[in-house]
Amino acid sequence: MFLTRSEYDRGVNTFSPEGRLFQVEYAIEAIKLGSTAIGICTSEGVVLAVEKRITSPLMEPTTIEKIVEVDKHIGCAVSGLMADSRTMIDRARVECQNHWFVYNENMSVESCAQAVSNLAIQFGDSDDDGAAMSRPFGVAILFAGIDEKGPQLYHMDPSGTFVQFDAKAIGSGSEGAQQSLQEVYHRSMTLSEATTAALTILKQVMEEKLNSSNVEVMTMTPAQMFHMFTKEQVEEVISKLS
Amino acid sequence: MFNSVMNAPPFWHNGPAPGAFYNFPGASTTPQDFRQHSQAPVTTATSIVALQYKTGVVIAGDMLGSYGSLARYRNCPRILKVNDNIILGAGGDYADFQYVKDIIEQKIIDEDCLDDGFKLKPKSLYCWLTRIMYNRRSKFDPFWNNFVVGGIQDGEPFLGTVDKLGTAYADKIICTGYGAYIAVPLLRDAVEKNPNLTKVEARQLVEKCMEVLYYRDARSFPKYQIATIDETEGAVVEGPIDVNQNWNLAHMIQ
Amino acid sequence: MSLVQPEMRPHYPDYATAPTQHHFSPYADNGGSVVAIAGDDFVVIGADTRLSAGFSIYTRDQNKLFRLSDTTVLGCSGCWCDTLTLTRILTARMQMYQQEHNKVMTTPACAQMLSTMLYYKRFFPYYISNILVGLDNEGKGCVYSYDPIGHCEKATYRAGGSAGALLQPLLDNQIGLKNMQNVGDSKLSLERALAVLKDVFISAAERDIFTGDSILINVITKDGIQDYSFQLRKD
Repeated sequence: MFLTRSEYDRGVNTFSPEGRLFQVEYAIEAIKLGSTAIGICTSEGVVLAVEKRITSPLMEPTTIEKIVEVDKHIGCAVSGLMADSRTMIDRARVECQNHWFVYNENMSVESCAQAVSNLAIQFGDSDDDGAAMSRPFGVAILFAGIDEKGPQLYHMDPSGTFVQFDAKAIGSGSEGAQQSLQEVYHRSMTLSEATTAALTILKQVMEEKLNSSNVEVMTMTPAQMFHMFTKEQVEEVISKLS
Repeated sequence: MFNSVMNAPPFWHNGPAPGAFYNFPGASTTPQDFRQHSQAPVTTATSIVALQYKTGVVIAGDMLGSYGSLARYRNCPRILKVNDNIILGAGGDYADFQYVKDIIEQKIIDEDCLDDGFKLKPKSLYCWLTRIMYNRRSKFDPFWNNFVVGGIQDGEPFLGTVDKLGTAYADKIICTGYGAYIAVPLLRDAVEKNPNLTKVEARQLVEKCMEVLYYRDARSFPKYQIATIDETEGAVVEGPIDVNQNWNLAHMIQ
Repeated sequence: MSLVQPEMRPHYPDYATAPTQHHFSPYADNGGSVVAIAGDDFVVIGADTRLSAGFSIYTRDQNKLFRLSDTTVLGCSGCWCDTLTLTRILTARMQMYQQEHNKVMTTPACAQMLSTMLYYKRFFPYYISNILVGLDNEGKGCVYSYDPIGHCEKATYRAGGSAGALLQPLLDNQIGLKNMQNVGDSKLSLERALAVLKDVFISAAERDIFTGDSILINVITKDGIQDYSFQLRKD
């Protein structure tokens, strides 16, 4: 696969003779090293579940934030380079607030993904108002939100491509998790079924043993909007896992 | 000294003027603040008279360039044929007009060089003029002109005008300067009586207006140009034409 | 000791002995009035068609209602050159929104956008009295009125422009049924709204020289926008 990389993997905007952008492909490889995150969209709402890698017992697990609120009606799960993800989350937040400021309405989930995508593909081009970003972002994002079309789940990769999904897994365990999602997902799934399914699959693909401090769970529902599960709520879900 | 005793205090203050929510600035001229703005017209041209008839448009304007009240330049053409489907008249500052005219002529040359058969349309020129006039007024450096655009677009006659602020409108009768007060009533009366004017009738009307304007407007001149445009005869600028003066009445005025 | 104050002499520009001072103001008052009335499932907006400056009538046939979408109409009066510019930018923004978000901008969104657009020119304002009407997200008629620098207020009826101060109290009485005893709160019908709209414009044309010639009316319902015209006095 990487036999032809030679000199075409330096410039971020240089195509190889085979028509590939290596730096973008490498970034897509990079997100496969990230922690696993799962999103499932049901008619009742969207659930996001992520694993947190606790690499040391001296680490404070609550300071790892992989699910964040972008606006009241949009939340994100990220996987990959966390520092990069901060920049993208910031952009998403600013775009949502700006949309609310100008139009006095919630930004749609698709438009939010579009706005972040516009940032994600700015690597390599410099102009008057700023130097170039030297590389693509090494981040995959799941956008979970509620807009006038109902609950929605979007996935975006480092190339800036964003696609709507019923259920999507990202990160190191994504291949196996995606396979399992395809098996369990059905249209009439309830949100609690989806939450259980997400944690079951996460449990299967995680290297460490799943517990209430190494996962984060968030639901996005029309009634509660962005709701991050407390430790107790997570434990409750875990106790129901077979 | 007697002021406070003799004059009653005003009825009304601290409120909106009757019939107006907003007090628009510049409604009354205060001579003290002339320093704020750099530009004022120098050599000026007076009214433009324009009329749309059944199949085309007539635009007329005299050839005087006034320097204040001095009739200084007596051969200033300000009616143009822009291309085969546009005629243009201008009033106000003559230098600004010449500057804009050069830009328009260059646009036409650039377009002809493309040789693609496309030509500037009257509504496009009208819109473009509106934008440049508005942009300059927004920089507080206006082109001190009134432009009147006439032409044929999609087989229909078009007549529109733009002033120095970028105020633009299209109508069948357009006169600028003193013409707005003197010629417009004459034209509106005539058009009301005969809504479907022929080219000859329209021309005669405009010629009459130029005559009346010469009698009444002190900054006018008895030598003028007329441009006509329609589908059959195209765009034609005629002139200089002399005003058909008749002073027989003069001895009766005390 | 003269009783006549020198500044009481009328000013005739052409007879002044001093050199003429040309003062440039970027604004003009081109007159015009706009009235809008909202009902439960409709909204009507009317604007006169006279475009004037001082004692001069530029044209008797100028539309001042701008269709921004199938459910949103903006009525403008005041400085015409600003109106031309603002409405062009608005049309462009409507199109950009449609392309960016794959949906037509709603009336409430448009109302907020107009407010921010006006405020962005806070220190060189568009001198326009704007009234935006349309159907809200529930299909109810709504009216938004603005001052030139972007203050926005939602109402059910509003008069703006040169005869705005004349007509608003009339609407307060006829539509708002204010300051009256023993009045039921009967639902406003479209016929009643149209009749009041025409009546108030007839009254405005009597008293305000900047309003007259004719009016153009847009009626917005869920079925679309219909337009009507109505003649006023032309002097």
